[in-house]
Amino acid sequence: MLSFILILLASLFFTGIIIRTKSIASGRKGPDLFQPIKDVIRLFKKGAVYSETCSFIFQIAPTIYFASIIMAMLTVPFGQSKGFISFNGDFIFFAYVLALGKFFSIISAMDTGSSFEGMGASREALYSMFAEPAFFILIGSLALLTGHTSFQEIFSSLHLGSYISYALTTLATFVLIMIAMIENSRMPIDDPKTHLELTMIHEVMILDNSGFDLGLIITAGYLKFAIYGALIVNLFIGIVDYQFAIPIFFAIQFLVAISIGLFESFIARFRMSHNAQFIVVLTSVSLLIFFGVLLILGKFI
Amino acid sequence: MIHVLLITFLITLFYMAIANRMLTYIKILALQGVLLFVVVFIQLEKINTLNLILILLETIVFKSLAVPLFLKHVLKRNRITREAEPFLPNFISLIITTLIIVVTILLSNSINDFKLDKMFFVVALSTIFTGLYIIVSRRKIITHVMGYLVIENGVFVLSLAVGNEMPMLVNLGIMLDIFASVLILGIFLNKIGDVFKDVDVNQLSNLKDY
Repeated sequence: MLSFILILLASLFFTGIIIRTKSIASGRKGPDLFQPIKDVIRLFKKGAVYSETCSFIFQIAPTIYFASIIMAMLTVPFGQSKGFISFNGDFIFFAYVLALGKFFSIISAMDTGSSFEGMGASREALYSMFAEPAFFILIGSLALLTGHTSFQEIFSSLHLGSYISYALTTLATFVLIMIAMIENSRMPIDDPKTHLELTMIHEVMILDNSGFDLGLIITAGYLKFAIYGALIVNLFIGIVDYQFAIPIFFAIQFLVAISIGLFESFIARFRMSHNAQFIVVLTSVSLLIFFGVLLILGKFI
Repeated sequence: MIHVLLITFLITLFYMAIANRMLTYIKILALQGVLLFVVVFIQLEKINTLNLILILLETIVFKSLAVPLFLKHVLKRNRITREAEPFLPNFISLIITTLIIVVTILLSNSINDFKLDKMFFVVALSTIFTGLYIIVSRRKIITHVMGYLVIENGVFVLSLAVGNEMPMLVNLGIMLDIFASVLILGIFLNKIGDVFKDVDVNQLSNLKDY
């Protein structure tokens, strides 16, 4: 319950902070912090235009995509307080509900019959397929470490004690930020500012969406960032009291947003052929986390 | 703390598997030298001046200053292009490196020996195998030298795995070994660079009887 409200609040300013950081880093003043939200509100006031060649899938896909993000958001806990939906193994639900939304956005891109959108859809499918094992190995090893299988229990019983668990948390933060960048099609994988369809991934899939549907998809992107930010926060707060945990939540979201902005300002997009190997590095790093967990538990050595 | 450093060491191996440029390889080798120094320094039980100087000489001065600078000099002198040019795509290299580490962990898990520190053993063995893999999968001669240096790092970690104290003789042996090999390969490479334009291993297959 608490996490739902906090994620909504964080998503209001998250993208604005990223854009402002990028503007300041490139020597401009930059737009208002709430400009992304204003853009979305403008889109929500419009109707949508549908092509004659596409079927009902194209019309329902943005709604399902948005709904899947909301469902995923409901499972994210905050410290001791559970999410709306919390049961054993809910991290699998989290991952696959996001995958369902992604599946619909992929088939709606295929539905338009545009060759560009098919290309973008195939890239999106490939990269999220590579990112999936990294996420599961990461959360699975955290589950093994704590002995619980739901998000809330994993995060509330995650104690930071020794050097090695600090190292594992640092690695886990790195992997989660990178997964967030892949899922949102941000810089090292995909450039949100590119103007050439051949180099796009996510933008090319939503070329035909307009008005209200486009607004839903963009809002879903903002929420996704805040969801991953909340997961990172959960790695650190554990069972801290609310009056400390809520400021920490916003501080960490702010830091994550600023670091993403700085990262995007100073790095160029990878070549398309280098993306796959970069994403598999995340899987390798999460395998190391897994063996670190085995080390802590004494199952090995 | 040592475990953290050793995990960082394994991550440098992944980075080496996907690195594109020769300078990146040299930087990774220097970083590995620094990591090894910190590991040995923490591992030391009592600080013996002679031993400390020897270790400092071997890791910091040798592995992370002298050899990288010398390799950089060789690169510049022979005008070697900056790409690594592997035989296999980097993606496959990465998967093979990951498989090497997983297999090593499974292998070491089946050994029951109290004297052996298994974390060191895993890192040592996977470093040695990764070094071998780098030697067989890269096209340029200078990358073979780098793969050899990675193997040396692995042997260094292995000598930590079997005993608490670094035997001084082993130390000296490793140091002499690296020195001789890098020097000989460097001179060899310089001569090749002078006589032939290219230092591609594939050219060697043309040397055959008719």
